This record gives sequence, C-alpha cells and structure tokens, in this order.
Amino acid sequence: MDLLTNILGAIATIILAFVVGMSYGGIVRKITARVHNRLGPPWYQNFIDAYKLFGKTTAIHHGWMQIMGPAFLMVSSVVTLMFVPVLNNGGWFTNLNFKGDLIFLLYLMVFGPLGMALGAGQTGNPNSAIGVTRGLSQMVGFEIPWVMALVALMIQFNTTTITGLMDVQQMSGTWLMFSSPFAFIAAVLAMLGMFRYSPFDIVGAPTELASGPVSENGGKFLFTMMSSGSIFSFVKLTLYVDLFMGGADNLIILLIKTFSIYMIPVLYGIVSPRYRTEQAIRFFWGWPLFFGILAILYAAIF
Amino acid sequence: MEIIYLIFILFLSGAIATFLLGKVSKRLRDIAFITTLVVPSVLFFTQINIGQTVDFSVLGIHLSWGITNFSYIFAYIVLGLGVLAGIYAVAAMKGKENLGFFFFNYILSIMAMMGILFSRDLISFFVFWEIMTWSSYLMVVFTGKDVQKVGIKYFIFSAIGAYAMLMAIVITYSLTGSMMISNLIFAFPDFEFGMQILIPVLLLIGFGVKSAMMPLHVWAVGSYSHSPMAYTAVFSGALSKMGIYGMIIVMAGLVSRIPEGYWFREVIAWMGAITAVGGTLWAVAQDDAKKMLAYSSVAQLGYIIIGIAIGTPLAMLASLFMAILHGMFKGTLFMAVGAIEKQTGTTNFTEVTGLIRKMPFTFLASLMSIIALAGIPPLGGFIGKWMLYESVIGSNHYLLIIVIFFSSTAAFLYCYKFLFGFFLGQEEKEWAHVKEAPAMMVVPMVILAIGTFIFGVFPGLILNPIDAGLQELGYAVTQGRYWEMSVLFNEWGDTVVLQPILYTILAVFVFFLAFVLTKNFKKTRYVSTKDISSSGEIPKEHENLTFSRGFFQPFLRSVEPLMRRKIDPYYNSFGRGMEAIFDFVRRIYTGNGQTYALYVVVFALLLLIFKDRLWG
Amino acid sequence: MVGSPVLLIAIPLLAAFLIPLLGIFWKELVRIIPGLVLGYLTILSASLYIDVLNTGTIVETIAGWRAPWGINLVFSPLTGFLATLMTFIGFIIWLYSYRFKRNVEFEAAKKYFIFLMLLVAGSIGIVITGDIFNQFVFIEIVGISAYALTAFYTGRNSAEAAFKYLIMGSLSASALLIAIILIYSQLGTLNMAEIAANIHNMPPQYRVTAMIFFIIGIGVEAEIFPLNGWAPDAYTEAPGPVGSAFAGIVVKAGIYAMVRMMFTLFDISGPMQILIIIGMITLVVAETSALRQVQLKRMLAYSSIGQMGLVLVAFGMGTKAGVFAALFLMLNHAIIKPLLFFSGSYLVFNSKEKNISEMSGLGKLMPFTAAFFALGSFAIVGLPPFAGFWSKLSVLTAAANDGLLLIIAIVLLVSIVEIVYYFRVINRIYFFKFDKATSVVPHKPRVNALIAMAILAILILVIGFYPDSVSEILNRASEDLLNTPDYIKNVLSTGQSLTY
Repeated sequence: MDLLTNILGAIATIILAFVVGMSYGGIVRKITARVHNRLGPPWYQNFIDAYKLFGKTTAIHHGWMQIMGPAFLMVSSVVTLMFVPVLNNGGWFTNLNFKGDLIFLLYLMVFGPLGMALGAGQTGNPNSAIGVTRGLSQMVGFEIPWVMALVALMIQFNTTTITGLMDVQQMSGTWLMFSSPFAFIAAVLAMLGMFRYSPFDIVGAPTELASGPVSENGGKFLFTMMSSGSIFSFVKLTLYVDLFMGGADNLIILLIKTFSIYMIPVLYGIVSPRYRTEQAIRFFWGWPLFFGILAILYAAIF
Repeated sequence: MEIIYLIFILFLSGAIATFLLGKVSKRLRDIAFITTLVVPSVLFFTQINIGQTVDFSVLGIHLSWGITNFSYIFAYIVLGLGVLAGIYAVAAMKGKENLGFFFFNYILSIMAMMGILFSRDLISFFVFWEIMTWSSYLMVVFTGKDVQKVGIKYFIFSAIGAYAMLMAIVITYSLTGSMMISNLIFAFPDFEFGMQILIPVLLLIGFGVKSAMMPLHVWAVGSYSHSPMAYTAVFSGALSKMGIYGMIIVMAGLVSRIPEGYWFREVIAWMGAITAVGGTLWAVAQDDAKKMLAYSSVAQLGYIIIGIAIGTPLAMLASLFMAILHGMFKGTLFMAVGAIEKQTGTTNFTEVTGLIRKMPFTFLASLMSIIALAGIPPLGGFIGKWMLYESVIGSNHYLLIIVIFFSSTAAFLYCYKFLFGFFLGQEEKEWAHVKEAPAMMVVPMVILAIGTFIFGVFPGLILNPIDAGLQELGYAVTQGRYWEMSVLFNEWGDTVVLQPILYTILAVFVFFLAFVLTKNFKKTRYVSTKDISSSGEIPKEHENLTFSRGFFQPFLRSVEPLMRRKIDPYYNSFGRGMEAIFDFVRRIYTGNGQTYALYVVVFALLLLIFKDRLWG
Repeated sequence: MVGSPVLLIAIPLLAAFLIPLLGIFWKELVRIIPGLVLGYLTILSASLYIDVLNTGTIVETIAGWRAPWGINLVFSPLTGFLATLMTFIGFIIWLYSYRFKRNVEFEAAKKYFIFLMLLVAGSIGIVITGDIFNQFVFIEIVGISAYALTAFYTGRNSAEAAFKYLIMGSLSASALLIAIILIYSQLGTLNMAEIAANIHNMPPQYRVTAMIFFIIGIGVEAEIFPLNGWAPDAYTEAPGPVGSAFAGIVVKAGIYAMVRMMFTLFDISGPMQILIIIGMITLVVAETSALRQVQLKRMLAYSSIGQMGLVLVAFGMGTKAGVFAALFLMLNHAIIKPLLFFSGSYLVFNSKEKNISEMSGLGKLMPFTAAFFALGSFAIVGLPPFAGFWSKLSVLTAAANDGLLLIIAIVLLVSIVEIVYYFRVINRIYFFKFDKATSVVPHKPRVNALIAMAILAILILVIGFYPDSVSEILNRASEDLLNTPDYIKNVLSTGQSLTY
C-alpha cells in the first residue's frame, strides 16, 4: 500500500514537526527569560498552552474568511513540510520531496501568511491589518537576500531542487555553508527576518499591536495558528540544514543542527530592541543584499 | 464566400446594427451586441482552419489574411475575454448613456484585434492596429473624465508607436517589395546593418507602447482607469496583448536572426524588468483600485516582456502562458472593480470596506484571481511565474531574477490591499445597503476565476496550443521536455508535479477546516466587526476603525528613492516645451500684411541666393 | 463627343455674367443657375474624362489658331482628372450653400454666386490651359474673385484679410509676369508645349531666374511657405463654403500650376530638392502653427496649408509613386477638407468668435454634423480605414523607395501634431459637457447641406474601404504628368483637332 505508507509517513512527519517545533518554542522562551534574568516558564509550557487552547470553545467569529484563515496557514506549513526532506535518506519522511523545487517552495511559503492575513482582515480589528501590512512589507525586505542566496546556490550547482543540492553536499562531502559562504551569510541574515524575533518582531509587536494579526482569535483558531507556527519553524530550520549543513542522517543530528541554527535569530533577538518597519526593510537591503550580490558573483564566477 | 470575410462582415455589420438598434429598443440592442460577439466567435472556432488564407490586393500591394498556430493562441484571449466581458458589459453598463456608441466601439476593437491576428501582411496589420487604437481611444474618453489629458496622452503615445511601426513598414516595403510578414522575416538577415537595427527598434517602439513597456507606459494608467471597467477588462486583458503578439514576432522572427540580437534581448529584458518593478511599486502606492490594477497590469506586462526578451523555449512558454492567464485574472479583477463601482459608486480603498458578506461571489472571484496574480500555487498564475523564474535562472540572468523576485514579492502587498481594502475590515453602515452584483456580471467573473484554477492544475491545456504556436516560430517541440499535462520541468530537469500538490493542499485544507469547525461552529456565533477587542476597548457603532489610509506607508517610505524619479513629468514638460515652440512658430504668421510682403521678398532673395545649390 | 473642354470655362464665365441679369426676373434663379451650370459641368467634365481615358488627350485650339500660335486647351488624364474633381467639388459647394443668405440679403448672395462661378471658371482654366499667359490671366481671375469673396462680410477683419491677400496676390502676379516675360524674351513663345520642347536651349541663368519667379508667382496660390500669409486670414474671414472652395479648388489649381511648371515647362525629371524643401517647411510650419490656434477655421486653414506642403513633397520626389501619392493626397484633401469646413461652419454657426472652446458638447445636440466633422478629422489625420490613410501610406512608401527616411520621420511626427489638434476638437465636441454660458447655440443644418456633407462622407468611406476605386485614375494621371514628350507631341500636333 504505497498511498497508505505515504499518508502514514506524512502524519509521522507532521507529528515530529509539531513536537519539535513546540519544544523549541518552549526552550526559546526559557532561554530568553534566563538572559533577561527571569525564571521563565518550563520548556513544555507551549504544550500546556496548546492543550488549553485546544480544549476551549470559540465563542464568536466574524465570517468565513476568518475561519478559513487558520486552515490556509496550516496548508502552507504542512504542505511545505511535505516538500522539505527531513532526513538525507528519506525513509518514512520522503513525502513529496521530489515533486517540487525551491521556487515552488518559496511561493508556497507565502500562501499561508497571505491566507492568514485575509482571515485577520475580516475580523475588522485595525491592529490585525496594521500587523499584516508590516509583515508583508518585511517579507519584501528579507525575501531579497534570501532569494539571492538561493539563486546563488541554484546557478552554482545547476539545480533548483533541495534534494539536488543535498546530493551535491553528499557527493563533495563539504557543506554548502563552506563551499558558498556568502550565500550562507545572506541566507542567515534573511532568516533573522523570517523568524520574526526581535528586532524584527514588528508584526505581532505585543506592546503596540496587541499581537497583531492573531488578535481576535482564540480557542481552536489560535491553537491551529500556534501549531502551524511551530511546524513552520521546524520546516524552515530543516530547510536551512538541508541547504547549507548537509542535511541530517538521523533525527539526533537533525535536532542538533536545527537547534544550533535556531539559536542565531533567537540570540540575536534577545539582545535587540524592535525596529520600525522601514528600518527593518532597509536593514535587509543593506548588508544582506551586499552578501547576496557577493554570493551571486561568487557563484557566477566559480 | 470565404468564412474569413464573413467573420469580419458580421463584426462590422453587427457593430452598426447594434448602434442603430440602440435607437429603437434597448433589449434588441443588447441581444444584437451579444450575438455579434458570439456568432463570429463560434464561426471562428468551428469553421476556421489553421493555415487557410484569403488573398487580395489593394493599391497593387498583395495582402493576405489567415490564422496561424501562433495567432490562434491570442485568438483564445481575444474572443474568450471579449465574449465574457461583453456579457458582463451588458449588465454593467445598464442605464448608462450612449450605450450604442459603447457597444459599437467594443465590437470594433474586438474585430480589430481579430484582424491583427488574421493579418499575414503588414498593411492589414497596421490598418487593424489603428482601428484598434482609435476604437479603444473612444472608450478611454467615453466617460468624459480628463479627456484632454488622459485621452490625448493615450492617443499621442499610440500614434508615436503606430507611426514608428508605419515607418518600419514602409522601409520594409521599399527593401523587399512586399508587405508580407513572412517575406520580412525571410529577407531580414540579408538587410544592411543599419536597417537590421532600425526596423526592429521601430517595431518594438510600436509594440512597446501597446504593451506599456517603460518608458512608453505613461498612457496606460490613466487610460485603463478612465475607460469603463467592462472595457478595461478587455483593454488590459486582451488589447495590450496585441503588443506582446507583435513583440514576439519581432523578437523571434527578426531579432533572433541577427548577431546583434543579444543586445536587443538584454535591453528589452531590462526594460521589462524596470517596467515590472516600477509598475508594482506604483501599484502599491495607489488608493484607487482602478489605478492600482492599471499599474499592476503594467507590471505584469513587464514580466511577459522579460520572458519574450529572454527568448528561450521555456521563457516563451512562460510569457505566452502568463499572457493568457493575465487576460483571465486581470479581466476578472477589472470586472470585480466594475461591479463594486456599480454597487457602491466608488473604487477608492479608503472609502469602501467590508463588502465580503455583501458581495460574496465577487469576493470569491477576486480572491482566486488575486491568488493567481500573486503567483501562488495551485492557481494558474504560479505556472507562468515558475517557468519565468526557471528560464531566467537557466539563461544566466542573475541580477534580473532578483529584480523580478523583488517586484513579484512586492506584488503581494497590493494583492492584499485589494482584497482587504474592498472586502475586509470593518463593515460600515454606509455600505449596509450594498447587494451582490447582477448574475450577468458575476457569472463571467466566476467562469474566468475557475479557469485560472483549472489551468493551474492542468497547464497542459494551454501549453499545448502554445507549443504548436512556438513550433511555427521555429522553436523545437517543448512538450515532454518542459511540460506534461500537469508536470513542469526546467532546463535542468527539475520538476514540479502539480496534481499531488493540489491533492495534498486540498486534503490539508479540508482537514483543518473541518478541524476548526467540528464541535465548534455550531456553538460559535457570528458577531459584527464592531464586536472586537481593540486594545481592550469596544469600538462604538459610529467609529470607523478600518485601517485604510497610508496602508503601506512604511514600505513606501523605504522604497521612496526608487520612486522619486517619474518619467511622466519629463514627458509633460517636453509636451509643454513643444507647445511653446509651436506657439512661437505660430507667431511667424504675424497677421501683418507688410510682414507678409517682406516674406515674399525675402523668399525671392533666398531662392536667388541659393539657386545654384538648389539646381546644382 | 458630348462637348468640348472650352465649355468648361466658357459656361461658368457666361453664367457669372448672366446671374445678375436673370436675378432681376426671379431671385431664385441666382441660386438655381450656378447649380445647373456646375451640375452640367460635372457631367460634361466626367464624360470628357472617360473619353480621354479611352482615346487619349484632347487638345482643343481656340479660334482655329493652332499651337504654338493660338491658345489651346489640354484635357489630358491629369488635367481632366483635376477639372472633374474641381467641378464636382464646386457642385458640392453649391449644394451646400444653396440656401446661403436666402431670404436675408439678396445682393450679398448674388455676389457670392457670381464670384463662386468665376472662381471655379478660373481654377478650371488654370488647369486645362496650355498657354502660360492664359494661365496668368486665369490666375488673376481666381485671385480677384477670391479677394472679393474674402471681403464678403464687409467687416474690418475681412477687409483686412482681403487686402493682405491682395497685396500678396499682386506681388506674385508681378513675379509671374516677369517670369513670363523672361521666357517669352528668350524663347519667343507662350505655349507650354513649345516652351517645354525648347527649354533646354534657354541659357541656364535665365532659366533658373524664370523658374524662381514662377515659383514666387504661383506659390501664393499654392500656399507655400512663406508666401501663404494671406491664407489663414482669408480662410477664417471668408464664409464657410468659400473656405472649402479655397481648400478644395483654388489651392489645387495653384499646386497644379506649380507642378506643371516644374515637370513640364522646365522639364525637370528626378527628385526636385526645392519642392521637397519648400514642402517640408510648409508642412512643418503650418501644422505646428495649427496646434495653438483658438479659432476653428484658422486651424483648418493651417491644416490645409500643411497638407499642400505634403503634396509638394510628394511631387518633389519626382517618381511615379511620388506623383501618384501627391495626386491621391490632392484628391483626398479635396474631399475631406470641404467636409471639415462644411461641418465646422455649422458647429460654430452662431458664434461670433468662431472659437474652438465654444464647441463643447455639441456632439449630442448636432449628431450628424459632429459625426461628419469627426469622420473628416479621422480621415485627414490618416487613420485607417478612412481615405486619408491610403494617401499618407502612398506618400510614405514613395519616400521610402527613394530612401528619404528623414522625411518619413518628419512627416510622421508632424502627423502626431495633427492628431493632437484635431482630437482636441473632437474631444471637446463629444466628451465635454454642453455649457450654456460658453458654448455656441446649436444651429441645425439644412437638408441640402446635410446631403452635401453626406456625399463627401460616403466618398471618404468608399475610398477608405476600397482605395482601388480611384487608383487606376490616379495612375493614368500620374503617368500623364511624368510624360513630357507625349505632352509636347500631343499639343504641337494639335492632337484631335476639333471642329464644330
């Protein structure tokens, strides 16, 4: 039963992503608290929150689009997960790895936020809309160096698939973060924006926007959004590991690699205040862009 | 009677009949209008065979009409959109004045576009091109807004384009002695160097104007937003594609056959890229939906131009696919704006909000079109975007790809603005009376929107005729190499398999929708958008909390350096300067008899002085 | 044989003298006679023309004096074409102005019709005569009647315009006379064919000087720059139908004289730089001046001048294609410009200033007139599928064949200017709101005027959709102009000698 195996594998992947993403979120909260000289919640606090939200009933809604918003978000994160290879040899986690390439992935990744933005829009809460505009603007900012990094990889190795790039690393034995360092730097800088930790937490900015797009959502809506966010973080981290750190042969290595790369935005964020939107955009069009161009030049020349 | 003639006679007589019947009965007029669009379309798709031609001669010049595989692609756009937007127009324009005139021009421009596609020679091509221009011009000025500015600007630019083209045509005629397009293509590599440069440049100016390529785009925004929306759907969706049609012929037929073609391609590609970026940024800055979509059209045409300029098989597939898809989704969006304008009386984002529950079908059609416009899978827009990126990367245009990516990411901003501005946000009492548009307006929109969905999963349906057309332009077979019915390949063999993707997306979507809804929705009740927690306060009934002014201000502030330079003021001051010069010239005629007498004497003296020069 | 070419001149001249006499008996005769005359002339001229196309040029000697001693009339494919065109346009003008000043002012109307007859007679005379002095006389007839028609409204402005015209006309007449004297002193003949046969025996200095004086002499009627200072004023001040007569008939005669002089008299073959240069300057200056005009008729006048410049350019190319294009342009202009003048006069009928700005929103109130004006504008700026396009295309292809790329570019750029000023007017007529305070009070056109306009409009459409309907005629005419030896031979051997 090929289809059944696939479905089971997909469910396993989703569960893995959910658990890992949630745990990472909890650990980050802990770390942040410690750096801020607080005690902080336990690392499993996110699971408790999720359970509480899952159990709650949503009392009100503002229309169909709001209901579809979380589903759109989930589509984006889950389908992206299906396309990102979790382990080098696939196995249970093969999913749809060979059915799409990086450019497809790039577009798929914006599907969710946009759907979510529509859901947020229907609530009529001005903070949601402001958060959305900020989020989209920031996306335009970090997308540029991120795409430049990816394009550099693509033209360097004449492939646009993740699996192709992973094969390249397997074959040569070096990680791409060493063989195309500028692309890696650009991608990591772009990642700061992608994870929306400080100083790029302008979307949800708790003090200004009352958590922005997710305000007006509670119960299962919020639970879905939260799980989606966790899965999405896991996907993005795995993608970085796949692209630049040679992928992972087993789950332990995967966890180590993802966690270490996760610390970059987290640690940078802990010690940073928040940018204004245009500052955030301009940030990405400064050094990250420069490294992106270097990466492309490097790829084009070598 | 040749069926080709019959189609044109039907169009022409139908246009006149519609105009005249308008004086008798409105219902008859509407029926005549729809019939005039539908009957020739049916004839075209059932009776016309590819390769069948009719030949005749005018003023001793041999002319020929016939359809080719390549022009057939565009016939789908023209007739498909023409008929659907025509049905829409009947309902949308109901109750307006001068409708006979509107329908007359509508049919004429559809006829002219078909004529362009039928033309196998440059003279018919030009004749139909000009008919298309003036009939669309009459539509631009139809509403009577800013006629002297917007209308004249459109016509000046069209005339510049058309006359550049005409110059190329007469030069071609003097060089080859024939007006046939095929002869031009055949003889082109043997032309002398200067002509090999001049002719494509002139032709590209002509086509660049219609396809709104920067810096020839300045007419587009005003014209698109000033025409009645029912026509703008055709204007932006189909009419601008005629520029693309011509451009492809020039690029594939002429430019690719000379050694200097490389530079042409680079320049045009970058002009397309600038068009795309500029159009997108300005679209983000607009508060009026019509203008926003107009700029967006300019930007989308920029992508198409890039694909044409790159000219690899994949890029051509991408361009043509995008051309068709753009006709569909931009047509839908303009129609949606027209529906909103009809129901609310305004198209400004800062005025209208919260229509989603009042105009659900319009919203649905807009949503799907916007997703297609943004290029998000699984809708059709993605296919074109994907192929374009792959072709740009595959043909080593590294900086170009960044520019395109930037503009298509920035496009998300205005995409969201469109949906949010009209449909989402606070539902205000002011718009409580708004109803869904009539079925005749909604149905064409929904049909087109569903089309974008189908072509997003089975792009092969469109790529198949495109492939046939490309083979005619001299490209190799692309089926199997770059695409299957629902699989795409790039130059390196990487694939996107669309069907499993769609199924996964649907499965996940349905699952989580059900997840959110189960045991939940029944107990969940709908509350109005006034019932929100805005920083702990509940807004009062009269408080409008919709965020719509300065929507993307932070973003616009950060891209401000890019938008500081506008070409429009330069054109305007050039125009003013020319008028001043002309005014000065006018003063040569002083109105004084003595001066005139002096002119006679001076003229005589000049002739006497230069007589040796003049007669050698 | 239905008649002879001499009737084309004699009958209108006679009619001009008879009109006042017959007017005494019945006032309506003043209006009817010109119509009968012009109608007859059109039929006569057309049938003669068909004859000529079938059998060859008719050369008629007056009073039995054979060329080169006597005066002769040459009715060839070219002159016949122009004469037919002129009589036809004359007839249309009569049709349009049938009710001119009817029941208002008898004396004025009488004058108008008399001078109109003289104008037509003189113009036809310029075209079909074979003798330069005779041509001079006809030019003077045209001039005098034109001065009178310009001054028709006996106001200060019209008098001034007529006076300017008179000054220019007199200067040119002197120049023309000098040229004729020069030629006569050298060659001892005034017959065109004879001059053409012997022109190369004339010393070059004399030849060139004579030519220059010819150009100045004829240039005023042909409206070339800078000799056309009179034209805008005259067109503006003269009544509407007179403006169309100037544009449709008089200028054509002037252009013909110019071209006949260059091609036949001085037997120049190949490109004529002077015509091209003068034509281009005329075209550019006139069209650019037109852009900023405030008065409708003045704008049309400049447009007319510009078109004539283009005609000269086309003639100047000296090739068959060029001449064909030039004749095509003349034909189209003769049809389109009267239509514009006709409809334009009605659009500003009740206005004192005749300003363009007063035309707002007239399209709804005067649908037919406005539609005719729009059609005329579309046609004259050369939009397909109307008549003007084909002539413009012919000019451009002719220029391209000679490799005159710069000229093509300038002509096209000027066309854009042309489009701008015509479309500004159309926009104003159709898409502006009618404003009681500023707009003209609409004046419904009479039936006869509508018929006249409709005939012209139909012709525009016919030529536009089926240009081959006239191409054969134009081909024959252009061959005729280029074939100087045949012209000489036909005239000097007296062709078909006519006795009756």
